[in-house]
Amino acid sequence: MAEEAIKNEETVTEPGSPSPKPVNKRRKLTYERCKQLYGYGFISIWMIGTLFFFLIPLVKSFWYSFNEVSIGEGKMMTDFVGMSKYYYVIGSDPNYTSYLSDTLKETLWKTPLVLIFSLFIAVILNQKFRGRTLSRAIFFLPVIIATGPVYKIISGDMNSTGNTGAAQFSTMFSTNLVGQLLQFLGIYGISDNMSTMISTVADNIFGIVWSSGIQILLFLGALQNIPPSAKEAAQIEGATAWEFFWKITLPYVSPFILANLIFTVIDSFTSPTNTVMGRILAMKEEWKFGEAAAMAWIYFIIVLVAVGIVSLIVSRFVYYEVE
Amino acid sequence: MTDTTGSVVKNESEIGNGLTPRQAKKLRMQSMTAEERGYVRRKAVMDAVWPIFRFVILFGLGFVILYPLIYMVSCTFRERSDMTDPTVMWIPRHFTLNVLRETLTAMDFWNTLKTTLILNIGCSFVQVVSCALTGYGFARFKFKFKGLLFGIVIMMILVPTQVISLPLYTQFRYFGIRGLFTINLIDTLWTMYLPAITANGIRSGLMILIFRQFFRGLPKELEDAAYIDGCGPLKTFIRVMIPNAGSAFLTVFLFSVVWYWNDYYVSSTFFVNTNTLARMLTNLDVELKIRLFQSASVEISPREQIVWKEAGCLLSITPILLLYVCLQKYFTEGIARSGITGI
Repeated sequence: MAEEAIKNEETVTEPGSPSPKPVNKRRKLTYERCKQLYGYGFISIWMIGTLFFFLIPLVKSFWYSFNEVSIGEGKMMTDFVGMSKYYYVIGSDPNYTSYLSDTLKETLWKTPLVLIFSLFIAVILNQKFRGRTLSRAIFFLPVIIATGPVYKIISGDMNSTGNTGAAQFSTMFSTNLVGQLLQFLGIYGISDNMSTMISTVADNIFGIVWSSGIQILLFLGALQNIPPSAKEAAQIEGATAWEFFWKITLPYVSPFILANLIFTVIDSFTSPTNTVMGRILAMKEEWKFGEAAAMAWIYFIIVLVAVGIVSLIVSRFVYYEVE
Repeated sequence: MTDTTGSVVKNESEIGNGLTPRQAKKLRMQSMTAEERGYVRRKAVMDAVWPIFRFVILFGLGFVILYPLIYMVSCTFRERSDMTDPTVMWIPRHFTLNVLRETLTAMDFWNTLKTTLILNIGCSFVQVVSCALTGYGFARFKFKFKGLLFGIVIMMILVPTQVISLPLYTQFRYFGIRGLFTINLIDTLWTMYLPAITANGIRSGLMILIFRQFFRGLPKELEDAAYIDGCGPLKTFIRVMIPNAGSAFLTVFLFSVVWYWNDYYVSSTFFVNTNTLARMLTNLDVELKIRLFQSASVEISPREQIVWKEAGCLLSITPILLLYVCLQKYFTEGIARSGITGI
């Protein structure tokens, strides 16, 4: 089959060949071209699908956000209104801007925490101790549950009904001990901010633990890929665990930090507790497609730009082992 | 520094075999510099304290994770009056199977489970196959616009479903060639199957990426050997690459099942009367009122509703939990091995 293709190519592309040398050269070229065609063949299914189920909807959705959309016969009727949907969404929608700023703020402080937490847990789970398999199984459990509506119900129960396990767990931290300590030390100004910050973090331990399943998994994979020679060298030089973490572990896992960052952000899009997405869904149910599209695009572009900037900064510090 | 280490060696060689290990250790400690002694002591302390510390952390956080599951089980087997009884925390006072039974009827569990399974396993299967083909294409072939096309894959990972779900809805509502024929595919399983077949299902971008990274990691000699023996690229893929990619296939398949299982957003965009477990669970409030009390206006206090909700949660995670327990190895090791992070 491949040979046939080669022959075809040969006859079609350049019929007359003066000397034997160029023939050889061309044969190589056509083989390459043949492989190129196979490449397209392999991705052709995806290309068709992407055109219909991704690219066209994406462009349409962008178009909808500039239009007054109504349902006509057999298709959607659009009526161009320029930027007014965007103005409406930002200026007049009662909930959108507050939801948006809340969600963005949450992503902003939660993502680094999730990353730090999952790296920490991955380092622990990478050590040898009894019960490691069990602990790993437990810590990966959120991977299979946290993306679904079950998570919404359990986290809702945690917050609304007063029967809050996570809150009970975190009251140990939230009793303003830190604030008192700081006051005792003579630091006044930041104490309030600090203690509110720490208590928010403590109150959200539930959310952080539950949204770092995959991240732990990826970090653990990275940790297992650290070459034993690096470990040995560090041990011989007498590095402490602390030094080992900063000098060996962190550089080796740094490419994964970027991947995990992106993953965490994407996960926050589809999180069932994301209020912006909830608002978009609500708009859709009221058949306000233009507004819904505008909301989705504003949110998406803000996050995309933020992720782009952060990955640019992070990628400067990423260490890739020279092969 | 070199002097001291020299003396250490000398001392130890002088010591001979006549001493107990303890004495030998003491001697060794004496011959060390203060710095070295400090290091050894600190290390000993850390070695003693760290396991305790580690246990406390793991136990506490493990509790945070397991708490909702234990609570689910506890709620499922209690009567709803136990919810308002302040003395009941974990162990129900009135043990009952009624709640479970009621939830089973309210969710129409067995039928829903059947739909969910048909949808999940079928979609995951075709999606894994199509994503593997695409991933292989990106991993091993050079063609024009490859960078651009791969950029689209990355876009597929980044763009949230919410952005495209609406035009997708109209696409399925009036599916076909405009002017010739249109079919309404809404509320049929095709809305999930068609994207899955064409590698555009739930999180398929990620799966293409995983497969690409995986196939890139396999040695090229494998294929070269097959080519020399006269296999075409497709045959090579089927005969040589797939047998080598078993674990990657299984991992991606499992994650795909989990993501389809948990998906609520996409299915509720396209489905009206076709119910998956995730949809059922989200609408459980209404269903309960209609099916159990025959009217939508019955007021049950939110606290008492928890019993059914938790039972519903338990029912809908049990199958996937069983899968996880049986195939835990592939969940946890596969994704790390397939090396998704060459981004």
